[in-house]
Amino acid sequence: MASCKATDAVYHVDPPPAGKKLRELFYCNHYIHSHIAHFYALAAPDFVMGPTSDPAQRNVLGVIAKVGLEIGGEVLKHRAYAQSVQASIAGKATHPVGGIPGGMSKPITEEQRKDFEQKAKSCIEFSKFSLKLFNDVVLANKDYLNLITGEIYTMKSYFMGLVDSKNRVNFYDGDIRVVDPDGKEVAKFKPAQYLDYVAEHTEPWSYLKFPFLKKVGWKGFVEGKDSGIYRVSPLARLNVADGMATPLAQAEYEKLYKTLGGKPVHATLVFHWARLIELLYASERALELCQDKEITDPKVRTIPTATPDEGVGVVEAPRGTLFHHYKTDEKGIVTKVNLIVATAHNYPAMQMSIKKAAQGVIKKKQPVTEGLLNMVEMAFRAYDPCSACATHTLPGQMPLEVVIYNSRGDVVERLGQHIQ
Amino acid sequence: MKTVVLGLGNPILCDDGVGPRVARELEGRVDPEKVSVLEAAVGGLALLDLIVGCDRAIIVDAIQTQDGKPGQIYRLAPDALDSTLHVASPHDVNFATALEFGRRLELPLPREIVIFAIEAADVTTFREDCTPQVASAIPVCAAMVLQALDEACAPRTEHR
Repeated sequence: MASCKATDAVYHVDPPPAGKKLRELFYCNHYIHSHIAHFYALAAPDFVMGPTSDPAQRNVLGVIAKVGLEIGGEVLKHRAYAQSVQASIAGKATHPVGGIPGGMSKPITEEQRKDFEQKAKSCIEFSKFSLKLFNDVVLANKDYLNLITGEIYTMKSYFMGLVDSKNRVNFYDGDIRVVDPDGKEVAKFKPAQYLDYVAEHTEPWSYLKFPFLKKVGWKGFVEGKDSGIYRVSPLARLNVADGMATPLAQAEYEKLYKTLGGKPVHATLVFHWARLIELLYASERALELCQDKEITDPKVRTIPTATPDEGVGVVEAPRGTLFHHYKTDEKGIVTKVNLIVATAHNYPAMQMSIKKAAQGVIKKKQPVTEGLLNMVEMAFRAYDPCSACATHTLPGQMPLEVVIYNSRGDVVERLGQHIQ
Repeated sequence: MKTVVLGLGNPILCDDGVGPRVARELEGRVDPEKVSVLEAAVGGLALLDLIVGCDRAIIVDAIQTQDGKPGQIYRLAPDALDSTLHVASPHDVNFATALEFGRRLELPLPREIVIFAIEAADVTTFREDCTPQVASAIPVCAAMVLQALDEACAPRTEHR
């Protein structure tokens, strides 16, 4: 979707309203399947089974054995609903081909609209169920509430996310807003201005760069207002926004901040809660779009006429803000590309979250169990990173190495799992 | 009996596209009443969506092993799945987990799943064709799929 918007910008073309709404409907369904998969397959096992439970059980199969097989069926059903809507709109759910410069390649029919409407209604109910499950399993468990709000999983940072004209969460379009660790807006800019606000630091030990806020500066891997490190994510989106654009999601948004003592929330594991609120928003918004008379309008594309040159497209990917910046020649052949993806934005914070969790759970003279290593994994699993995160399979297989140094910098102990 | 042949892979990532290319090689050579031939670039639970309701599934995918030679073709059973490139997804569960998920939900899964995995040389370069050794394996693998479609025997592991 960022690519669609970048090519709109490259060709200086604005899609017609129906084209934008159809893209947004597709995109809401993308969020639905992605957030369902992440919560049930990757996040829920830590909480439903327990963070230090047997890894052979700490996976989606353990979850459905505990909460009920019928829930597993609902997970598959609603993921499939969302992906079928995506495929119906844009040709394929994964690697869709329907987005083109100026809009979409084809409109939808009334028959498709009715089908999508029914699926959206069902997704709303499933979202409400998922939030109730989170409430019953996590929030009602004092130990889990202490875990998610505890210091080892908390990191004070700036936050970035896309907001609409009323400063509400929007996945598809809007301005990029940044708030400081106290929740105060410090920047709001258009996609084309991103290089005025974001720069990238490099380290010799990683191919991935470390984005930071230019005006604050790179101060190293440190937290707080004086450090230019920021985070993107479902929680970041809720933190930067003044609310949600749909009523049920808005109620859940208010509940989250009331429960946790106000905005912004810095607890990394709350990404999972925010993800479920977004699942509800995506489902409600999908229904709104299905019930919008313009959604079946055949005019879904504006033909570009300008000479292509350069453009930036920004969306909120499920994991966070996504920048696509293209330069082309006069024929539209790409000559330069810059992408900053959510995992890149979060990379500095992920390093710090992992380190903090490791320092919090690994104690001198205490054995380091698989469960404790999993608690370190949880710190970055919340970010749903696009690096290899093949966790909670049968059994969980996450390459993880923890190296413990003494005060002289000598390696005292090296622990790992699935290291090849 | 309903069979699905899935060619998995990204067709613009060099050898990663060998699965879809084998699927295309089968065009016009199977009975569409009995066999569906699909191309996809999914893993995990999404892969499950594509095979539910079929009696048999034949999956063709790229693989990278430690000592394999590009173009080598392996016939694998589902329990040997960790090494192929698309049956796992970093945002989802792997195929073994997805299959077990489907079994526990008593979904109508194929009673037989055969995987043909082709050793890839390059899965990171953006290009719309495969490397020569992998390309030469495409018609051979297609022939193996056609033979498997005629078979009624249990899956076995073999190398070309």
